[in-house]
Amino acid sequence: MLQAIIGGLTLGSVYALIALGFNLTYTTTRTLNFAQGDFVSVGAFVGLGTVGVLTAALGADAVGYVWFYALAAVAAALAMGVLGLPLYLAAIRPFAGKPGMSWVVSTIGFGIVLQSAALSLWGLGARMLAPPFGDEVFRVGEVGFRSQELVVMALAFAILGGFDIAMRRTALGRCMRAVALNRDAAALMGIDVPRVMALAFLASSALAGLSGVLVAPILSASLFMGVIIALKGFSAAIIGGLTNPRGCMAGGLLIGLVESLTALWSAQWREIMVFLLVILVLAMAPNGMFGRKLVEKV
Amino acid sequence: MTTPFLKTLLAATAGLVMTATIQAQAADPVKIAYNGDISGSPSAESGQIGVLGIGAAVEDINKRGGVLGRPLEFLIRDDLGQPPKAIQNMTDLIDREKVSVVFGPTNSGNALAWKHIANQKKMPVLVSSASSTAITEGPASGNYLFRVSMVDREQAAALLAYVKKNPEAKSVGFFVETTGYGQAGLKDLEQIAALHGIKPAATEKFDARDTDMTSQLAKAKAAGVDTLVVWAQAAPLGHLVRSMEKLDYFPKVFTTWAASFSGFPEVAGPKLMEWPVFLTTSSERKSDASKALFERIGPKLANPSMFWAASQAYDTVLLWAAAAEQAGSLKGEEVRGALESLNKPVAGMVKTYEKPFSTAQHEGLTASDYHWSRWKDGKVVDFNDPVLDGLQPADFKK
Amino acid sequence: MRTETATRPAPFRPAILRAVPALGVGAALVALALTLTNDFHLYVAFMAGVYYLCASGMNVLAGYAGQKSLGQAGLFAAGAYTVALLTTRLEVSPVLALAAAPIVAAGVGVLIALPSLRVKGPSLALVTLAFGLVVEKLVTEWTDLFGGAQGVYGIAPLEFQGEPFALRHWVVLVIVLAVATHLLLGHLLNGRFGRALLALQSDEIAAECAGISVYRYKILAFVVAAALCGLGGALVAQQNQYFNSDFVTFHLSVFILLLVLLGGAGNLYGPIAGAAILTATEVFLAQWPSVQHFIYGSMLLFALYLMPTGVAGTIARVLPRKAVAEPVVTGAPLTLSRTTDDPAGGPLLEMRDIAKAFGGVVTADKVGLRLHAHRVHALIGPNGAGKSTLINILTGVIPADSGSIRLAGEDITRASAHSRADRGIARTFQNLRLFGAMTVLDNVLVGAHARIGATGREAEAVAKAAAVLEFVGLAEHAQALAGSLPYGLQRRVELARALAGDPVLLLLDEPAAGLNPRETAELGQLIKRIGRLGVAVLMVEHDMGLVMGISDEIVVLDRGIVIAEGTPREIQTNPRVIEAYLGREEAPADDEADGKEEERAC
Repeated sequence: MLQAIIGGLTLGSVYALIALGFNLTYTTTRTLNFAQGDFVSVGAFVGLGTVGVLTAALGADAVGYVWFYALAAVAAALAMGVLGLPLYLAAIRPFAGKPGMSWVVSTIGFGIVLQSAALSLWGLGARMLAPPFGDEVFRVGEVGFRSQELVVMALAFAILGGFDIAMRRTALGRCMRAVALNRDAAALMGIDVPRVMALAFLASSALAGLSGVLVAPILSASLFMGVIIALKGFSAAIIGGLTNPRGCMAGGLLIGLVESLTALWSAQWREIMVFLLVILVLAMAPNGMFGRKLVEKV
Repeated sequence: MTTPFLKTLLAATAGLVMTATIQAQAADPVKIAYNGDISGSPSAESGQIGVLGIGAAVEDINKRGGVLGRPLEFLIRDDLGQPPKAIQNMTDLIDREKVSVVFGPTNSGNALAWKHIANQKKMPVLVSSASSTAITEGPASGNYLFRVSMVDREQAAALLAYVKKNPEAKSVGFFVETTGYGQAGLKDLEQIAALHGIKPAATEKFDARDTDMTSQLAKAKAAGVDTLVVWAQAAPLGHLVRSMEKLDYFPKVFTTWAASFSGFPEVAGPKLMEWPVFLTTSSERKSDASKALFERIGPKLANPSMFWAASQAYDTVLLWAAAAEQAGSLKGEEVRGALESLNKPVAGMVKTYEKPFSTAQHEGLTASDYHWSRWKDGKVVDFNDPVLDGLQPADFKK
Repeated sequence: MRTETATRPAPFRPAILRAVPALGVGAALVALALTLTNDFHLYVAFMAGVYYLCASGMNVLAGYAGQKSLGQAGLFAAGAYTVALLTTRLEVSPVLALAAAPIVAAGVGVLIALPSLRVKGPSLALVTLAFGLVVEKLVTEWTDLFGGAQGVYGIAPLEFQGEPFALRHWVVLVIVLAVATHLLLGHLLNGRFGRALLALQSDEIAAECAGISVYRYKILAFVVAAALCGLGGALVAQQNQYFNSDFVTFHLSVFILLLVLLGGAGNLYGPIAGAAILTATEVFLAQWPSVQHFIYGSMLLFALYLMPTGVAGTIARVLPRKAVAEPVVTGAPLTLSRTTDDPAGGPLLEMRDIAKAFGGVVTADKVGLRLHAHRVHALIGPNGAGKSTLINILTGVIPADSGSIRLAGEDITRASAHSRADRGIARTFQNLRLFGAMTVLDNVLVGAHARIGATGREAEAVAKAAAVLEFVGLAEHAQALAGSLPYGLQRRVELARALAGDPVLLLLDEPAAGLNPRETAELGQLIKRIGRLGVAVLMVEHDMGLVMGISDEIVVLDRGIVIAEGTPREIQTNPRVIEAYLGREEAPADDEADGKEEERAC
């Protein structure tokens, strides 16, 4: 039971990171990146590649693996963040703020290209990224867990908290919130709206890339791993309330927990349960659990 | 508004028909093809390597003058692991490209989705990596599917024979993934277990994308299971042994050749990967030809343990070429007949094939060609123990 | 999403004549199919036909109703497994099984529609996507029933002269089904049904107030999409005689949506273009497995940027426009067909003790109102008085907390907005709510939705709409897109739309807002003429000149309370009214405090 809760919170905090990314792009541009899963997978492989390059260049024991891993995480976040810009320019910008959902098609297309490029670079097989603090199992009573689960949870919560504060306290965060609240008014106030939108995609993609490096030591990295993670992140964002970043985080944890607790009963029905829950929540609360009601003025 | 658009469409369709006719007339080389997943899922790795093996065989055959004096031309179709795409590729290859033989697929499910087409169209198909038992079960009117690969049923027979013979195995659990691969395996396991009178104390399933099987394992542990027979692909298998470590519960694990796929050692890590015992077709490269082939394509492999996929695929091409030469024809019906009665031995990579196929027997490899294996120091090596030595042919029930 | 040229053929042509080109093309395709001997070409044609069926249903849902679903694979599976299980387990005849497939799929379509009714945009995408995944998992895991990835063998195919269908028979069948679907959908979508869907896609509240039951039409759209998708799945399963859970993937759901978006959403010919082009592209690219994903991906990435209205929309734009501007003119003057006198012993509409509070803000406090046929009423009051709230309560957009409303003696307190519209309550909106991408004529025809009825007296409705347009002076703009007209004319289109429903009661929410003095004067004349037709008019207005000029009766509201009632003269001298308007400081609220909190982020 406790084992399941730890596992659920670990994955849940990753879903929360991805959900937060969805929240950032949705509030600023009213679009979502349907290729987010590919950013997660490719992020993991950028991390793997960085570790490989560092090990080759400096030798395995130069500074301690923790630093390699940290650099890999930074590299993945940066690389994916930078890739978020062409995504924004090619797939989002022509459609941002317009009705219709053409961006679904264009972001899926971007994802296919990205994944194909990654496949020809890294191949199909699953790869393991070594965790920074060793792979041993720690045991507390009956419960066994690996250090990476704690690393993921700690880092994810730190990032989520950091974002929460940054959105409220920093000038950039306030700009983002202003654009989210009212794009036209923000533009009139002299905020460079396209720049804020591009930044939202940069941040969202960087979060996806970072998530990839975080989960790779637990899930093993494959270029196919991202899709389901991103789908659950998407579910988390929406049932939490797409417009509410704290709701997105709560949604992520909830999905992680439901998933691992269902697995206690019967693992094969796990995803059915998660997605039935999604349908149920949205049928009851169309704006998600924490998304405040959007009343149309008539 | 419709008419101009539809006119263009009609013209385009007519054009397609014409080009197809011209292509068929100009066919001088013999077209052969691979139709399988080479990009859609993790198991596509064996498809990609199979393509390498076939490519190498085509090169070698063309060097010695081709088949029936004509060079071979190798076409590749990617089915992405999706049945509709696989079926479409199949009709494309048979009806438009007019190939003489099809190799593949990667996933058993797709072979099941189109095998009736091959049988109806009398198109020989040689399977080199899909292992579902049902693939080579064909209609009485003529079965065109042949296989040089592991077969689920044979593996299940071998694994359960060992389990039955092993005095330490008191309580058995079946662990399978929920893909077609795992489901077919479970069916075979349950049927053979019934023949042996083995009742599994636990049967647990997991998704091929699962990474945490602790809850399933906890149930098996509670049921007192000391021996697991696992039917899963490489990555979930790796996660299974990792989850075992988490629970500190280490029953004996017997599994299929999937453990030799590169994903397993990657995920399981250097320590845990040595735990399961499994079956392979070629745990070591013995012949010179096999070593030479490995020199050629080894550098392109992510993991040398996947070399079997190339050698089996290589052998399927040799067998087909031998049958075509023997029949003196490329016609499906005659090639099938020749395959079922090959009169000369064919020296392949895995072994030398002496009358590998007959009307009733379409498996090029059988239990006697399997090796008991395990990982040791990063390599797949032979596994040996007294129980194995004591196994008699009568123990293999299937 | 609709193209700028209205693709509707001239409405008076008989249905038979309209079907001729499609039938001709269908016959030509059948003839062509019969000359094909290569099974590959036949198979490609078959799949293109199946994809067309899926796409045409999806077009109704996504293109017309605006509900972008990402779960169609689940419905495809519903149809496929229906024929698979019926023919193998129950040995039902193949024909019956094929007929049952769309019905079962339609039932499943209702299941997915119900939780989808209230969600929009990405949430709708997620609900449908989750549904698709649940079905995918269900058919994979529930192996006892569905056979999982091992699949179902021996699905009985249709037979022709005692033999199983050959591929060419399947192609002919698919062409026949496709042509029939195209004609049927063409008939439906070019009429009341299609207009209702486009209207609700554009603006659900305006559609509801025009008498369209938004929920019912959404469910209908889901059902049509489900049935056609299920039919497609059934055809694939029967043709292949084998089906397994690997067919049901998220990829398939995305592909079906792509067929529509690339082909041209909301365009009757979009699915044809989408199915033809995407099937051909896939087949063509399959020859180069190493680059196919790059090309396919780039195509998706840039296609809608280059062709925002899809292939069909782009073609329609390039082709010379048909001369559609048939003048929509009728000689007949406008008459309204309902009885337009007060019922015996009471006013046409009586509102009693209506109360409404948003949180702590009371916007209506025991308001009573009596409106009479043939008369123009004005509702005035300072900002925040609760005037718009009252209109919204009257039309059923907002439910009242307590109180009762009777129309012509009948209690309508609990009636839905669309059924009130059906009973003759029509309205305009304070902020324009036109269906901007539809023509003026179509906007007016949407207004007549309930009047046309399911019997589809389309020709009659068009004549009536023409009369309405003449009445408001918009006849020459009938074929223009409503959104392209100048503001003043758009206001009048909204008025025309309200009139088209043969209202007994017309509610105008600030009709003169944004109009110049000349336009305001014209509007005043128009409203007077409407009153003379027998309609009871209630207008919320700030322009006192207009109010005093044309009203028969004025009600003054302040902070949710009626403070005065009477003729213009009486009101002008009423001290309470003067105090309400001049005597107090007003907070510069943006009109009514209608509890609108456009809460967006953070």
